[in-house]
Amino acid sequence: MSYIPNYIIPDLLLLILPFLVIGSRLFVKDNSKIPWRIANIGLVLIFALLNFIPLAGGSRFFINNWNVSDFGILMREVLVLSAILGVWLSKDYFNHGGDGKPAMNQIAEFIGTIAFATFGGITVISACDLLTFFLGLEIATIPMYALTAWNKRDQLGSEAATKYILMGSVATAFELFGFSYLYGFAGTIRFDAIQTAASNPNPLLWIAILFLFCGIGFKLTLFPFYTWAPDVYEGAPTPVTAVLSVTSKATAIAFLVMLVYGPLAPVREQIAPLIALLAGVTLFVGNLGALKQSRLRRFMAYSSIAQAGYIMIALLGDSAMAKTAIIYYLFVYALSNYLAFFVFGIIGHHREESFDSLRGLSKQNVSLAVALAVAMFSLAGIPPLAGFFGKFHLFFSGASTGHYGIVVFAVLNNVLALYYYLQVIKSAWADEADEHLTPLRMTRRQRWVIVLLTVAVILIGILPFLSNNVFAGFTF
Amino acid sequence: MTLMNCLILAFLLFGIGVWGLIHRRHLVGMLISMELMLNAANINFISFAYFTASDSTAGALFSIFVIAVTACEMAIALAIVVSMYRRYKSLDVEQLRDLHD
Repeated sequence: MSYIPNYIIPDLLLLILPFLVIGSRLFVKDNSKIPWRIANIGLVLIFALLNFIPLAGGSRFFINNWNVSDFGILMREVLVLSAILGVWLSKDYFNHGGDGKPAMNQIAEFIGTIAFATFGGITVISACDLLTFFLGLEIATIPMYALTAWNKRDQLGSEAATKYILMGSVATAFELFGFSYLYGFAGTIRFDAIQTAASNPNPLLWIAILFLFCGIGFKLTLFPFYTWAPDVYEGAPTPVTAVLSVTSKATAIAFLVMLVYGPLAPVREQIAPLIALLAGVTLFVGNLGALKQSRLRRFMAYSSIAQAGYIMIALLGDSAMAKTAIIYYLFVYALSNYLAFFVFGIIGHHREESFDSLRGLSKQNVSLAVALAVAMFSLAGIPPLAGFFGKFHLFFSGASTGHYGIVVFAVLNNVLALYYYLQVIKSAWADEADEHLTPLRMTRRQRWVIVLLTVAVILIGILPFLSNNVFAGFTF
Repeated sequence: MTLMNCLILAFLLFGIGVWGLIHRRHLVGMLISMELMLNAANINFISFAYFTASDSTAGALFSIFVIAVTACEMAIALAIVVSMYRRYKSLDVEQLRDLHD
């Protein structure tokens, strides 16, 4: 038996976990809690193990084709964290449904599917060649289609899944076409060899880049290709929406980072205008779209479209700075987003998920209203909270290479964003309570998670230099 | 038969796929169009592997993997389409209007 290095163990565990969780259903009763416990212990264990891998700088290769870089390790932490929070959020939807939808069933398979999607994201960040890269992206996407349609008794769910899979497969086709030209251009699928070949670009490379950006534009909800996102986010079950908006987006961003700082690094200066244009238009459209929403999950969809635009700006910077900014922002975004979704989830269990249901929240349940305000302020980027530092580093990364125009545009847009995030807070804090709304109840798990996430969002904002890991790449 | 011929064939096939996707209003028709687009990419891979690439095994292997992945994707797509059909009793995409702004 060959030697298995330490840093590969979390990946292997994550690969085995879904089989364990789903397989355990064969041996237990239908309503047993054992699969759920296995999943919890497994995911938390994997997250803890990931934290023990030292960030040594440089890359470690496993059988020559599985690259565990520092960026990859931190990205794994984001993805596994998202899976843990997604699983916790979804638990209550198997007892009783939310937002007027019936309860879901088969929790073991649900958790397994989320774990598979997470493993897909990990494959993307570990890839050293186009084939692994492509397979990873597909492993990350295909479970998402199934998750969106999980609630078979819900009409909107299957409609959302149909739209998602139509759009997603088109994106796959575009991407694959781009890959085929990239292969034709370089004559090989290895990233390092493509990078060498890209030093003397020819038209084939530009066509490949165009197709690749079209493909990833769908997945990352960039401007002309974002139209599916609000529909899918609204139709999918709430926990799936949360997982979609974090895991799927993190995977797509990781894909772009791998591509821009890997094979396409020599032509990065030439594609910077394209990235800046996509980022600017995307965040503008996302912000405009969010202004007029009345339903919470649709609102979160547009908000996450705008966030994708902000993250794109960091791609204009140099490798170390951009990667650090993106990782830090993804942590912050994951925490804030899940906090918002936990609050919306609790509201959705008892009421319709719309702005009107938030009215008078501060009088009925102060802790929920505080958590909601923290999440929204963090997403908007108000100074003491984590979101501010996240956005600051994104913009700093963009500005460090002299792209001041797009950074100014993004900052101005942030004012627009502040308006609609404040509207949510206004509904919760300023509007008069509505007597007809059913009262809210929280389970103990929900309360703990909300407290934990609120504290995390505030702490990461107050002590941004607490974590040396995250800031290892900064140069100032 | 040159590389250019193969690339033009693939590009045309891809174009036909996009055209079909835009003009077809039937879910299965749209899935078939998608399959055309993916196979266009396969033709690209094979022809690059045959004519120019220094590492020709990779291109050939890539297309085999693509076929397998496409099969998975279509399995999920058809499952979703069937659940749509049970709900609406037809496969016209014009009915997908419950979710909108």
